[in-house]
Amino acid sequence: MRTFTILTALFFFVGIHAATAQTRIITGQVTSSEDKNPIPGVTVLLKGTRTGTSTNADGKFTLTLEGINITLVFSYVGMKTEEITLGESNVVNVILQPAMTTMKEVVVTALGIPREKKSLGYSTQEVSGDVVQKIKTDNFMNLLSGEVAGIQIRTTTNIGGSTNVLLRGIKSLEGNNQALFVIDGVPVSNENTNTLDQQDAGVGYDFGNAASDINPDDIESINVLKGAAATALYGSRAANGVIMITTKKGASRGDGDSKKNFHVTLNSGIKIGFVDKSTFPTYQQEYGAGYGHYYDGPGNYWYMRDLFGNGQLEQCVVTSEDASYGAPFDPNLMVYQWDAFNPLSPNYHKATPWVAAKNGPITLFKNPTTYMNSVSIENAFKAGNIRLSYTNYKQDGLLPNSQMIKNNVLLNGSWNVTDRVTVAGSANYIATQNQGRNETGYGTSSVLSLRQWYQTNVDLKEQKDAYFQTKQNMTWNWSDPTDLTPIFWDNYYWTQYENYETDGRNRFIGWASLDYKITNWLDIFGRMSVDMYDELQEERRAVGSIPSQFGIGYGIDGSLGRSYQGSGYLRRDITFSEYNYDIMANFNKEFLKVFSIKGVLGMNIRRTNQSRLVSATNGGLIVPEVYSLQNSAGPLPLPNELASKVGVNGYYASASLGWNSLVYLDLTLRCDQSSTLPVEHSVYFYPSVAGSFVFSNLIKEVKWISFGKVRLNYAVVGNGAPYNDLVDNYSLATPFGSPVTFVPEIKKNPDLRPEMTHSLEGGLEMKFFGKRLGFDFDLYQTNSIDQIVPLKVSAATGYFYKVINAGNIQNRGIELALNAIPVQTRSFKWNITVNWARNRNKVISLAEGVEDLQLGYFQGGVSINARVGQPYGVIEGTDYVYLNGQKVVDPATGYYEVTKNSDNVIGNINPDWTGGMRNTFTYKNWALSFMVDVSKGGDIFSLDMSYGLATGLYKETAYLNDLGNPVRNPVIYNTPGDPNSGYAPGSGGFINPGVKPDGSPNNIRASAENYGAFGYLYNPNRAFVYDATYVKLREIALSYTFPASLLKKTFITGITLSAVASNVWIIFKNLPYADPESGLGSGNLQGYSTSSLPSTRDFGFNLKFAF
Amino acid sequence: MVIMLVFSSCKKLQDLNKDTKNPLTVSGESLFTGAEVNLFQQMVTPNANYNIWRLISQQWTETTYTDESNYDLVDRTIPDNHWNWIYQYVIKDLDQSSKIIASTSYPFDPGPAVKKNRLAIIEILTVYSWSVLVETFGNIPYSQALNINNLLPKYDDGLTIYEDLIKRLDTATVHLDPAYGSLDVADQMYFGDVAAWAKFANSLKLRMGMLLSDVDPVFAKATVESAVSDENGLIGSNLDNAKLVYMSSPPNTNPIYDELVASGRHDYIPANTLVDTMNRMNDPRLPFYFTQVDTSTTGDPKLAYVGGIYGESNDFTQYSHVADNIQIPTFEGLIFDYAETEFLLAEGAERGYNVGGGSAREHYNNAIGASITYWGGSDDDVKNYLADPRVAYSTAPGNYKRKIGFQKWIALYNRGFEAWTEWRKFDYPVLFPPHRALSPVPVRFTYPIAEQTLNGANYATASAAIGGDLVTTKLFWDKY
Repeated sequence: MRTFTILTALFFFVGIHAATAQTRIITGQVTSSEDKNPIPGVTVLLKGTRTGTSTNADGKFTLTLEGINITLVFSYVGMKTEEITLGESNVVNVILQPAMTTMKEVVVTALGIPREKKSLGYSTQEVSGDVVQKIKTDNFMNLLSGEVAGIQIRTTTNIGGSTNVLLRGIKSLEGNNQALFVIDGVPVSNENTNTLDQQDAGVGYDFGNAASDINPDDIESINVLKGAAATALYGSRAANGVIMITTKKGASRGDGDSKKNFHVTLNSGIKIGFVDKSTFPTYQQEYGAGYGHYYDGPGNYWYMRDLFGNGQLEQCVVTSEDASYGAPFDPNLMVYQWDAFNPLSPNYHKATPWVAAKNGPITLFKNPTTYMNSVSIENAFKAGNIRLSYTNYKQDGLLPNSQMIKNNVLLNGSWNVTDRVTVAGSANYIATQNQGRNETGYGTSSVLSLRQWYQTNVDLKEQKDAYFQTKQNMTWNWSDPTDLTPIFWDNYYWTQYENYETDGRNRFIGWASLDYKITNWLDIFGRMSVDMYDELQEERRAVGSIPSQFGIGYGIDGSLGRSYQGSGYLRRDITFSEYNYDIMANFNKEFLKVFSIKGVLGMNIRRTNQSRLVSATNGGLIVPEVYSLQNSAGPLPLPNELASKVGVNGYYASASLGWNSLVYLDLTLRCDQSSTLPVEHSVYFYPSVAGSFVFSNLIKEVKWISFGKVRLNYAVVGNGAPYNDLVDNYSLATPFGSPVTFVPEIKKNPDLRPEMTHSLEGGLEMKFFGKRLGFDFDLYQTNSIDQIVPLKVSAATGYFYKVINAGNIQNRGIELALNAIPVQTRSFKWNITVNWARNRNKVISLAEGVEDLQLGYFQGGVSINARVGQPYGVIEGTDYVYLNGQKVVDPATGYYEVTKNSDNVIGNINPDWTGGMRNTFTYKNWALSFMVDVSKGGDIFSLDMSYGLATGLYKETAYLNDLGNPVRNPVIYNTPGDPNSGYAPGSGGFINPGVKPDGSPNNIRASAENYGAFGYLYNPNRAFVYDATYVKLREIALSYTFPASLLKKTFITGITLSAVASNVWIIFKNLPYADPESGLGSGNLQGYSTSSLPSTRDFGFNLKFAF
Repeated sequence: MVIMLVFSSCKKLQDLNKDTKNPLTVSGESLFTGAEVNLFQQMVTPNANYNIWRLISQQWTETTYTDESNYDLVDRTIPDNHWNWIYQYVIKDLDQSSKIIASTSYPFDPGPAVKKNRLAIIEILTVYSWSVLVETFGNIPYSQALNINNLLPKYDDGLTIYEDLIKRLDTATVHLDPAYGSLDVADQMYFGDVAAWAKFANSLKLRMGMLLSDVDPVFAKATVESAVSDENGLIGSNLDNAKLVYMSSPPNTNPIYDELVASGRHDYIPANTLVDTMNRMNDPRLPFYFTQVDTSTTGDPKLAYVGGIYGESNDFTQYSHVADNIQIPTFEGLIFDYAETEFLLAEGAERGYNVGGGSAREHYNNAIGASITYWGGSDDDVKNYLADPRVAYSTAPGNYKRKIGFQKWIALYNRGFEAWTEWRKFDYPVLFPPHRALSPVPVRFTYPIAEQTLNGANYATASAAIGGDLVTTKLFWDKY
């Protein structure tokens, strides 16, 4: 869909030379043949030059030219270009015809082969680079949500976090399901380097995914290849669809006049974010620290301590307790709080009023600011073109001391050495430096733990001041007023300023190609490309922090089961390189005017190497603040090393046959030889066939149908195994007086076969009334069979997992893309694009005898599973006990009964449907667009709610009950122990809706006196599963392009100013206190929300200069 | 370059897939060391995800998060973790270790004899590991276990397994020859001392036999008597204890240190059930088990041993803590000691077995004496304690089960699993579930949740066979 043609046209201004003698002033108006309306923005050029102008809002233009033989070229996207040679008259009125039926819409398909869109037998959808350039973000993928039917983007709120990009649902059980990114034909890695523990919601950071290195300002267009038929030539790794990115090139706008093609573009943007309060908890303001009343002092809410050695006991806050289920606030009550033990505090050794904090947890967040500045220089010569761009991106994060800096340089160009030989190349260097990412998941040093564990009496501003005053870990969470060591949580500012991580990546993506035209119908193309990076991740724990799981444990990356360390330093050195060597022969021939044949014969050799070295200190640091391995207090543990090498040799052939621009047939065959499969299964073939029928060519007399095409395809894509799944190795561990080895948890399999994905797709594409209305509709089914999975097995077998070929996952879906221009007048145009997609996935089978496969197990007792007959990714956990559909309440306590088993299906991570709608309004030089993005259905488990309600942090845990009394008051019957005697005045408690085991309605009042009543302790996991639906106003963008008339006496050729608001408003959601999109990171384990950052509403300005 | 790659042979391409960082073969001895350390880890750690028997036997309790003290096994999937650990991290490695050593030839004298000893020792530790699983769950996969080609192993009858294990111990003991060496430092428990392993094997057999007393008295008697009469003898002093001495730096520190000190957390405190009991008896082991806490309300220090209320929320600072000596990194882990052996002999005497001389009272006294001196008490402490009429065998209340069960429970402090098993056998001391408990005191673990999904049919059969997969289902040996 060419959504932004009008905007592109508006941006396209050309300078005007000042008039001299013998001039002619030529005026005229351009109108459309369809509706007779004037067309603004039509380019009017003196033929063979860059001299010209464009029409104004009334379709009118004025040109001052010299000479007698003047030919003007009128061009406008979507219309046929007209050439008018002027006679005597200086007035030219032009009527442009729509180009729809004849215009060749060319799209870039797999392997970079340009194809006429109407000839394709499969679905592709194009997004203009503009879409990802308006909003300045660290990861352009975030902006694709809702822009393409069938793309499912899940953005995390993590600083620089990874983005989950799914096309047509999850296909691989445990493998990678992310779409493949290809830039100018070069596949680039989009792996995230997050640890295993991080992905299972343990301690870790979300290091983002590597495709975010791509600079959005360099993107010309993005083409999304969704199905297997579209991607068949890429082979196995493209089974999840391909995001094809075409970068900007030095463009020729004349006939190779380098002076006129020289362009400089400056682009400057700034963005500032504000916390969306609906994505952060509302804390109750009535009760402070404690888990209940089992301590000392009045009401048993306090620590009574002899603070001054005078034999007198002082009333102190229960500093060690990280819940807010304690004493009711009372401004007249003076108690010793955490700051009474900070010698630099004005409250040192003083009792202060017992009140709710003035500055709650939300105080922690800053307004994140983003600056992005880029410059590009381009030129096009007769013999080729060149473009150089540089972008600097800087973001200060939501959390204190968090920052991302990215520098990106891209040089690309091509050179027509002779008429037959073209060489081209590209070099892209990207350096990123990040600091202070938020720790994700359930860990001891996540500052976002304050969603779950906190004291509502703690003032964050005072915490901040205490840290900066003392530069010590001045926590609110002392072990005891008489034992001033932090117990569970550090001062959050200490965490951010002392225990921060840093990471940086240096990346080079480059390619060189040679194209040799042997004849006019045959050319040979060769290309070598490389994508390589090294990444260093460093984690720190300062001396004085609470001990946390740190260092090296077990698991393939050493991140699981780590021991507690009070301080330490850890580094991960990661290198990645991928080399691709391509050679292909393209032929393209027409016969008898009606037949065309296009063919490719090619070969791809791919080598991917990855290495990782993890090392860490042990038993703490000797010297504080020195973060190095040699500063380890204990002997260094064995480091963790990985060196993986994967090679695939692919051979492919494709033929596209066309008849009379009416019927097209595509056939492909690919053969892969994979290093990861046993020799006897390492070579495998897979075919695809796609056909299309442009039926509108048969019914040309039906004028209102401008275009109509049906398409149908079937494809098989094979896939090799992950690295090292064939042979068993032993694991080595730190010696215990003598060498120690283990049998690993995973049993490898020397008999693996390739996996296969079969897909069937049919579609209908139609356009009406010229280009005013169009739709593209798709139906598909894919079955991924014989998948290579580490199947979880009974540990009684001696292993936890066995690698096998098994299973069948089916995805069925509908995709619909709609484009309409409801209103188009002289100066006003309204354009709507709608994308909608529904994907239903289902686990048809797993391994023999296996009904349920656990994919991930999370804190809180829930797991994400694949279960036969269910969608991939059900949430399993404990449920209510039901009687005739009613929740059963334990009559002894009034709390709900909870199932003993935790394999109940309590949710499904997949949305029912996703969709987006973009409206664009253009009026003269103004353009306004907004985008609404919807994800309907799907479930998410909230650990925050499970814990935060238990610990009494949220406002839902302090309210007046049905008796009009504080719910946390004890339940008091008139006759003690007799629920039928009525309630005494002031009785607290609440009545859970449901029935007693005998089926009668519940009338037993549950006590909310101590922690847990509302949270995980007395409720099943089911209680914290929420509908993940959201409706978001993603973006509002307003831009103004300075009229060319204003600039004509300057060297500037264009100025565009825009104001953009993104993530403006979550119009609807059901997940309390968090963004339903906030997950742990990209990967298969979604549907779990814990300790996430709130999302921000972002407002920004951009200025674009071209000269 | 391209051409070269194209014609690279298949074999060469496949070579890329080789793991260059981890070995294809290792020594059986290094696998044994790993298994031994892992076994101790599971039996010693107080980590609430793995080993909560100090809580279940009410030696310790929790401070704030009291779920495990109230028998919540599900939330942290504790049965899964225990099962997985023993099967994969212990038994699988022992099995592999045994296979490698069996297939290694030691042609030169005394190689063959040493090899025989090694295999026997591996077998003994394997039997011990299996016994822990059977004592936890009852029926478990055994005859079809450890076969990765059978993903759905059947569960065997607990009693059948147990009796087979005892037979395996018989055979292993016969194969031991103390005249030769064995695993040397690869064995961090006895450092290859074959005689010590023989004593451990005999004591283990004694314990396993005794556990069957109520269910198969004939077999139990024969087993106990054969253990007692073996020429190598039983664990005869604290020097023979089956222990692992930890090291001063992680990851080889005592897991108690890891959880109580290194973690910086304050999750566990001694439970009033045990502390009150010991206070009442003025037990000389109190200072070695617990710290004292100031109970003064006036400012004048008043130190006492105070246990947290079992299963309730407790304020860490108001109660006694686990004694400092237990929390040091190098504190030894223990899986069998001399006191335990003597208690078993006392029980054997009461049950009318030939325990090779000595009355129940003598063995009882020896057991208590061994425990007190192990922890650091003096001979006078022993004498005084035994003189207390509530302790003295003749005057202590109740039947022999009460007397032995009660004292054994105290002596098995910090050995939660054994304390739990002995409590299940003797039903003494009487333990009450806390008022918020999810169930009565568990007498077994439910099967791993993963078994329901991964091995469902066999799980269901086994559950039905034992009388329901519940924490209240008494195991085959737990008749009373």
